[in-house]
Amino acid sequence: MSSEPQPRGLSSSGSPIPNQPADGGLRNFYRQEFDRVHRDFVATGSGLAALSDRTRLVDKLALTLWEQHLPSRPRCGYALVALGGYGRCELFPHSDVDLLFLTEDEEKRDQIKEGVSSICQQMWDCGLRVSPSTHTIADCARLNQENIEFTLSLLDCRFLAGDRLLFDGLHEKKLPELIAREADTLLQALSSITEARHHRFGKTIFHLEPNLKDGPGGLRDCHVSRWIGMILALVAGNKPEVVGSSKNAAASAVLEAIEFLSSIRCHLHYRHNRDDNNVTWSAQEELAARGIGTGSGPLSPAEWMRLYFGHAKAVYHDSGQLLKQVMEGRSSLYRSFQHWRSRVSNSEFSVVDGRVYLQQAASARDAEAVLRLFVFVAKHGVALSAEAERRISEVHLRLVETMPQDQSLWPHLRDILTQPQAANALRAMHSLNLLTHALPEFEAINLLVLRDLYHRYTVDEHTLLAIDVLHQLKIDGDEVLRPFAELLGEVEHPELLYLALLLHDTGKGLEGSDHVYSSLQFTQTAVKRLQFPEEDARMVAFLVSSHLEISSTMRRRDIYDPGTVAELADKMGTPERLKMLTLLTLADIKAVNPDALTPWKAENLWRLYAATANHFDRSADIAGLDAGASRGAVERIIGLHPLRRSEILHFLDGLPQRYVLSHPAEQVVQHFRLSRQLATEVVQLQLQPHSGQCELTVVTTDRAGLFRTLAGILFGWGMDITKATAFSNSSGVVVDSFYFKDRFRTLEVNPSERECFLRSVRDILLGEAPLEKLLESRLRGDRQPVKLAVGTRIRHDNECSARNSLLEIVTQDRPGLLHTISSTLTKEGCSIEVALIDTEGPLAHDVFYLTRNGNKLTSEQMRDLEWALAGELSDSLPTW
Amino acid sequence: MTKLEAVIQPARFEAVKDALIEIGVEGMTVIEVRGHGRQKGHTEFYRGREYIVDLLPKVKIEAVIPDAMVDKAVTTITEAARTGKIGDGKIFLSRIDDAVRIRNDERGENAL
Repeated sequence: MSSEPQPRGLSSSGSPIPNQPADGGLRNFYRQEFDRVHRDFVATGSGLAALSDRTRLVDKLALTLWEQHLPSRPRCGYALVALGGYGRCELFPHSDVDLLFLTEDEEKRDQIKEGVSSICQQMWDCGLRVSPSTHTIADCARLNQENIEFTLSLLDCRFLAGDRLLFDGLHEKKLPELIAREADTLLQALSSITEARHHRFGKTIFHLEPNLKDGPGGLRDCHVSRWIGMILALVAGNKPEVVGSSKNAAASAVLEAIEFLSSIRCHLHYRHNRDDNNVTWSAQEELAARGIGTGSGPLSPAEWMRLYFGHAKAVYHDSGQLLKQVMEGRSSLYRSFQHWRSRVSNSEFSVVDGRVYLQQAASARDAEAVLRLFVFVAKHGVALSAEAERRISEVHLRLVETMPQDQSLWPHLRDILTQPQAANALRAMHSLNLLTHALPEFEAINLLVLRDLYHRYTVDEHTLLAIDVLHQLKIDGDEVLRPFAELLGEVEHPELLYLALLLHDTGKGLEGSDHVYSSLQFTQTAVKRLQFPEEDARMVAFLVSSHLEISSTMRRRDIYDPGTVAELADKMGTPERLKMLTLLTLADIKAVNPDALTPWKAENLWRLYAATANHFDRSADIAGLDAGASRGAVERIIGLHPLRRSEILHFLDGLPQRYVLSHPAEQVVQHFRLSRQLATEVVQLQLQPHSGQCELTVVTTDRAGLFRTLAGILFGWGMDITKATAFSNSSGVVVDSFYFKDRFRTLEVNPSERECFLRSVRDILLGEAPLEKLLESRLRGDRQPVKLAVGTRIRHDNECSARNSLLEIVTQDRPGLLHTISSTLTKEGCSIEVALIDTEGPLAHDVFYLTRNGNKLTSEQMRDLEWALAGELSDSLPTW
Repeated sequence: MTKLEAVIQPARFEAVKDALIEIGVEGMTVIEVRGHGRQKGHTEFYRGREYIVDLLPKVKIEAVIPDAMVDKAVTTITEAARTGKIGDGKIFLSRIDDAVRIRNDERGENAL
């Protein structure tokens, strides 16, 4: 600071105007002096000097009016006191002037009422915005829970005129006693007020049009640091410090930031001719062109905003650290929470008071260890300690050189992205200038300000917020967002969704290009460097290149039109892509600004999702592999085995589009290979792990009751089926896939059981062993308590398919459910053409495409079937 | 002056907005609303859960325009918003006594 404010409690910085002018003269005097201060500011650019000058000017005016209306005597029992910014000698050009008329008792308060009114009236007439209050010293010595801000403003009190002893009584005795007594309450209130204020601004400094006073990293945060310092000093019985917070190396950065922010705020007040602290786009252009606050002449608006973000970051970081330290030290609840968190310490990282430290200083030089540190932050929600930040900064160059960017980066990045506090870990990486070195594609949007009427944040912050939106879904209780939270739980590879979010707007960094196209280019470069498997790379590229598709459909098309839904389903290709893109769209909209995702938009998004998901279920038997997205999938399959083109096409003939779009090309080729071996062995089996579960694929020739038998075998072995699909081609080759949890860990604990299991499947399918024997023991003993009851609903649709009748069953999941249902279907003479089996917690959702004797079921047959199923599922009658 | 309130299909909003700007209506207020007229709601299912869609999403455009432009604006909106199906929406017109531009106190049609 070039000119320090006067310490708390010192006398006014001015004296009455010598030849007191009449009313009009006083106004002219103030106007002339106000203009002079403005001219000096324009000449010097020093905001702090302008604040002191205006404070002196207002002091002169206040003292002149005081002498006119309430002339002082040594023990008059009342005093004029400056509070808030005026008390701190930081009076911005159009800031309110906070005045306290302090009296020794209520009698004096009544006595000076008229004088107070005249002083305030004349100050208003001069063009000052006065905020007066009259309080007895006893009022000031009490904490008013309804108006804690008043007690906080007393911290900056400054004597102007009147009874000095009365003021000293407040300043030297009553106020220190009050602060010492109520320090915890005041600090708690300060913390809550600050939290609420930051919340209003989305808890980020990275706004496109920031508010210099109230926004995070603004001047109010400097005041918070100052007040905390003063409260702590008064509690300790020391003289409060004049300027707040830090005594570390960051202090000079904070002081520089205060000078910068003060100069900019002065400029904004003069520019807007009022107390307006928003750095609008036009203001940014002007400030940058005039080089205000730069110290080095004109800059481009983007460069100037980067300078601003640097200063705001220093303030935000400093006040945040200080507030956290104080709250940790004083709140027993907070301490216990932090103590609990300290238990997550391990051999590499220790957590003390909610901050993480490196156990070994040398770890900071090891890029892999530093990446593990960010995984730790993402997992446990702890902040980096200043020491860890310092150690990493000191070896930054070395870290940059050794930071992995290829496939060895992905396990770390994946672990960061999928942890609940991913956004905070990525922010910490970004703040230490490491994220752009790990993922160079991110550099293009580093602190990028794009002028857009809707976006509130820089592009990089928007991206990190979007990632946070998805993680918050799991803990938010918002009823409108609940279905999306459930949807997120169903995504098989959330890490790909988060990576797509991280890259979806990188193309915005390339000026003049179509950002979706450029983002896709960046994405393809990134996934190639990370050496993603082809299917994963294709999924991320799809999400990035289609990230505006659903928004655009919602905006431009009738979401209730079946044609719109069918077209969207065609573009998505698979239900999994639809789920992921729906969630990406939700996060992308919500991270634009706090109000962007209205309940109206969220509900429309959900309705479009549900309609498209239903469309997938109702069109799962559609063949035609030479159409749309399936044509590309077929070409990819053939591309893996080009010499077998005609045989592959023969194998695929009659299989629905759903089959080729929902299976990776490599897996289809495996199925094809299994089908070629049917001539020698009529049952082909493949058992492999799949996302923590087991996947059993059965390729065989179609026969009556096949699906029922497979469901029965898995039930007999105690397996819990979570998903299943059944498809068949024109030649009668069946590809059935079952995904199941090995509830009793039979296959995991006893490796020899794997062969036994596969033999059992084969023998029963070939009729060489009875299924009933396997089922006997299971049917007797396998009962599980119902945690959450789900009512049964059975619906049919005879219109959606030209060849099949569709049956949809939603019911309580239970052991053996699929066997029960498929047995009933077999008993009723139905043939399962396609089956889509899914579970979601306690809810089972099964869709069957059925025929009877090669035809659709008649209405009567369907009704009989539904009654039979209702009887088996027992808890309800079918609904029509 | 006339206040024009048009409740239209969200999907037609951009076309209507562009068409209004094209004929010189630049100031408008847009609100996301829900409602129904003769286009009643219906029931939908997702995984066995029932959703009653009785209030459908609409966009409401409000604009105050000079009387001389009313017919043109109404024609423009109907042409741009019409799909021919139930649920295309409605336009309501009402008289406005005065308008004030807050920035410079201009009054009447000058303030539009």
